[in-house]
Amino acid sequence: MALYDMSPEATMDFLPLTEPVLLILLSLAGQPRHGYSILKDVEQMSGGRVMLSTGTLYGALRRLLDEEWIERFEEQESSRGRQAYRLTARGRRNLQLEVGRMKQLTRLANLRIAVKEA
Amino acid sequence: MLSLSLYRHALRLYPGFHREQFGEEMIALFRELQADMATKGMFAQGLFCVRETAGVVAGALREHWRVWGGEHVWLLFSSRRFTMRTEFRFPKATAVLMTLILAGVVLAIQKGEAIQASVPDTNPLVVSIHPVHSTLLPGVVIGLASFYAAGLIGWAILFALRRSGVHRLDETSAK
Repeated sequence: MALYDMSPEATMDFLPLTEPVLLILLSLAGQPRHGYSILKDVEQMSGGRVMLSTGTLYGALRRLLDEEWIERFEEQESSRGRQAYRLTARGRRNLQLEVGRMKQLTRLANLRIAVKEA
Repeated sequence: MLSLSLYRHALRLYPGFHREQFGEEMIALFRELQADMATKGMFAQGLFCVRETAGVVAGALREHWRVWGGEHVWLLFSSRRFTMRTEFRFPKATAVLMTLILAGVVLAIQKGEAIQASVPDTNPLVVSIHPVHSTLLPGVVIGLASFYAAGLIGWAILFALRRSGVHRLDETSAK
């Protein structure tokens, strides 16, 4: 049973995502992470171009939690019992939609550029 | 470098519920980042300090605005984007360009005034024109405020139209 409104209208309202939000979601797509790990992964993925502050990171995480795109849980492996974050089904679905949108745009851009060069 | 105690104080700018939910995590993360920065140069430490200060202040403001009027109120004051949607983007470059144009116009007026004042009035038959006196700073401020107000009104209209679902009428009729 669908817990969330997954209609195109409901999900497309959030797209396109801002770059920091997209990078945070991509960071969580591979594995659950805690704050420090997300920051470092975002920095690495963007080649050092996007360096989030703690304020920006937790602002984005708060909004993603509110929208139920991600969820918070306590890391079992960590001795300090740190809070970690992972994507929800809704978050993963919306991330796929955004990546699909970008793919479509890239395909169109390549076609247009190829036509122009020919 | 920005100290931990200072950072703790800065977190008080956030609404209480946000501090309760994320305060300890933010402090722990800041501590880790601070430890990373200790091995880096002065420039990197300075950048870190500026980034964190700006991030906390902007984040706190955003959270207060959200409490005050919901998620979308903050977007009215965002210089990066009006919304997360492509059609309502308002890039910083546009704001900079508008400022430069406005400053150029104000400077040109001032220069015109100076030239007129330096040329003696040799022809009494020609009535001298006295331009409206303006100073640079108030002119720029008033101009920017006007541009921003006009932008806000335009955005509000577009936002209201979008919320009403008018933009989907084409999609509906095409089906």
